Amino acid sequence: MTPDSKFSDISVDFMRSPEQVMRLDRMGSSHQTRLSFMRSLIRRMSNEKWQFECLRRDIDSDGYGVSVYAVNTPNRTYSLIAFTQDIPPNKRTDRVIAEVWDATFSLYDGVPTQEDIDYLVHNTPKQEGGRFRPSELVLARANKSLRLFEHVISSLAKGNQPDIELLSSVGYLMRTTAIYGSGKFGCADREKIANREECRGAFQIELLAVYLIRWFTIDLVEYLAKKRGGNKAARLDPRISRFLGIGNSTGLGMAPFLLKHPNLIHSWVLAKESALARVRSIETPLNGSLEKFMQSLDQVSQHLKEWRVDDELQTSRIERLKSEIESLTNWCNNEINLVKPYPWNGIYQHTEDCYSLECQELVVSLIIEPHGSLVDDLAETMFSESIPKIQVGMPLSQLKVIVKNYYAWAIAIDFTTTKSQQHFWYYSEEKLEPRFGSRADEDGSEQEMPLTIGRDAYELNEVLFSVDDDMLVGEFVLAHPQYRHIIRRIQNTFIMPYSEVQDNLLDESMLPLNLLRFKLAFFGASKFDPKSDLWTRICMYQGAPMPEHLADSGYDDWYFPVIPRGFI
Amino acid sequence: MTKEQLTISLNEVIFFFTRAGFGVKAPIGVAEDFARSNVWIAENGFDPGLCSLGALDNIDSQASDLAILFKKTENGGRFYCPSDLYLSSLIASVSVVDRINLGIKDNELVVKNVDFPVLVIAAMGANKCNGLQAFWLDESNHEYLVRFTAEGVWEVVSSDSQPIELSKGANMIIQPISSEITHPYNASIKKYIAANEKEKILQSGVKVGENWQGIYDYFSRCLVKSTAESRASGAGAGMVDTD
Repeated sequence: MTPDSKFSDISVDFMRSPEQVMRLDRMGSSHQTRLSFMRSLIRRMSNEKWQFECLRRDIDSDGYGVSVYAVNTPNRTYSLIAFTQDIPPNKRTDRVIAEVWDATFSLYDGVPTQEDIDYLVHNTPKQEGGRFRPSELVLARANKSLRLFEHVISSLAKGNQPDIELLSSVGYLMRTTAIYGSGKFGCADREKIANREECRGAFQIELLAVYLIRWFTIDLVEYLAKKRGGNKAARLDPRISRFLGIGNSTGLGMAPFLLKHPNLIHSWVLAKESALARVRSIETPLNGSLEKFMQSLDQVSQHLKEWRVDDELQTSRIERLKSEIESLTNWCNNEINLVKPYPWNGIYQHTEDCYSLECQELVVSLIIEPHGSLVDDLAETMFSESIPKIQVGMPLSQLKVIVKNYYAWAIAIDFTTTKSQQHFWYYSEEKLEPRFGSRADEDGSEQEMPLTIGRDAYELNEVLFSVDDDMLVGEFVLAHPQYRHIIRRIQNTFIMPYSEVQDNLLDESMLPLNLLRFKLAFFGASKFDPKSDLWTRICMYQGAPMPEHLADSGYDDWYFPVIPRGFI
Repeated sequence: MTKEQLTISLNEVIFFFTRAGFGVKAPIGVAEDFARSNVWIAENGFDPGLCSLGALDNIDSQASDLAILFKKTENGGRFYCPSDLYLSSLIASVSVVDRINLGIKDNELVVKNVDFPVLVIAAMGANKCNGLQAFWLDESNHEYLVRFTAEGVWEVVSSDSQPIELSKGANMIIQPISSEITHPYNASIKKYIAANEKEKILQSGVKVGENWQGIYDYFSRCLVKSTAESRASGAGAGMVDTD
């Protein structure tokens, strides 16, 4: 991290602790911030003047065929190859175990030749069943929102704009159901591209693919409307196309990722918490920043009205959030509360004292937002190339202290109870789909994924009681190799304290959804729409500028998007 | 992923080899290091399945043992298996690297009767044990010397043309690089610059041969059979998604 000397000394005092931040209930209340990966990617696209072009559109009047969309960055070109097909409605599922999709995609490193497309036409539509090469960077698929897709085409074909309420209720024309990168199914390893400026940040190449998919869906409906309506057909109003995002369904696959990449997670959280601390440590607000914050409260109030979901729990959280934002707005309108030193800290502290976790995390996002000049450099630190390494020379006396201080949450759990180990995580033989089973009701717990962090720390702690303090970790693991994994992890947490989820992932009360939302918020997702405890739908890039508007002023103002003015 | 001739990514090496190690009941921490060693093997242009399948087979068939002991000697120390079995290279490799990383200046580390010496070499390479060399005479009388001369640079001196990854059953001697060791008669010497080899692999992928199926089979032991009940514990169960 590049500390800002003007703020770094004091801002440390305002850092929230890992014990506060890395708890599942707070993680499951996360919102996007201006450091989220989609936000930083859009800023790069705009700043570096990336150029976008449709290189090929070989599709029939129903939209089926192959298309290629390219983006030219300062140093290289990436191409999205899209295959579209007709599929039976009853085969349209968001699950990993699906076999067919409306659209499948490969992001190609460069411009594909006909030979490349001939290869991919036999592989990309098969998704996990295909094999890919280091020239392919990302593999993805998407299904249509049948309701909205047809409505938009038919409206445009008649020369009309689509119904904005319907559009707002869905938010996207297609919904991605998997986005694979980093060497999956033979695609390029992350290391191939990690040193490229535009790829260094987390998930930048995957999110570039998603941005291109969003552009493809909008281009596709406009093309099909033109085919159907001829000269009478309209194009989407640019404000509407900007309001259209790309959907996504996210399931359990994200949870193991979070636990298997502790150093990466630490870098994300450290950046966000540093941004918050920098803002909280401002004694006198920057010009215009409080005004911008007050405007964002208005905007977020409207966003909350438009955030409608079926899930009862999330609905009640949104309802509470609405009243809390109203209450906060009133509190901020009272000058006494803001005209004093450290106003941002005052806002944060008031929120933490009075409102729900959902509101606290929303306010974190809102108070960071007006401070781009102060925090945007942190986006460059949100990656990690290191992997945890075991420190064999550490005496067990030190390890014992680390366990006690950093895993207090784990050693306090009674792992002899059934409810503390109610669940287990595993991969199904069916397309390697990650699943979250009930230990009492399902077979397979002996193949449990090693995500049993709390239990492992607890067991290690029990064993360490009877071992000599002077023994070195290297000597201990020679005799007890079964603890190698957890010791390495614990030692790593000592160095990277934001790397560990400080809750029992096997517990009866465990909601995988919290892990998913935490990660998706870092991506920059909005409008979380939980469909169960195991998966959620979201909207990505809603409100983000389309390629032709990346140079416009306000290209970065797309947090908490709302229906564009003039349409309601 | 079960085809005989396949090109895979380094990330897939990590994914499948970790779970293949776990599939033969190696502790997960050891299996993770085993996978990292296989990445190093792959990055250097070798097929990681060639030696690693044998090491996994040995554990699975109880021809090797994951139990290991260490005894200090006058010159350094000796790793050995308490039983008459081969010492599994999965546990030998992490133990050797741990010993080196303790920073104790051993003049000589001996690894007795290890089944696949190249996995110990790979662990040393993956952990940048520069300035060290290892030599051994295997049970088929092939002689090898591996020297880690500088960061990312290593060389293999062998007595004949048998690939190092097939060398099996040996007492390895690991010590600081010395110029005193003479090369065997008709020695073949090959030098590797890891970064160059790795760049090629990142561009072309890792080619795995017929042993891949065996690795995949061990990996598959970590998978749970799908049932109607377990299908319901996957995300999105019961949904037909039209919207």
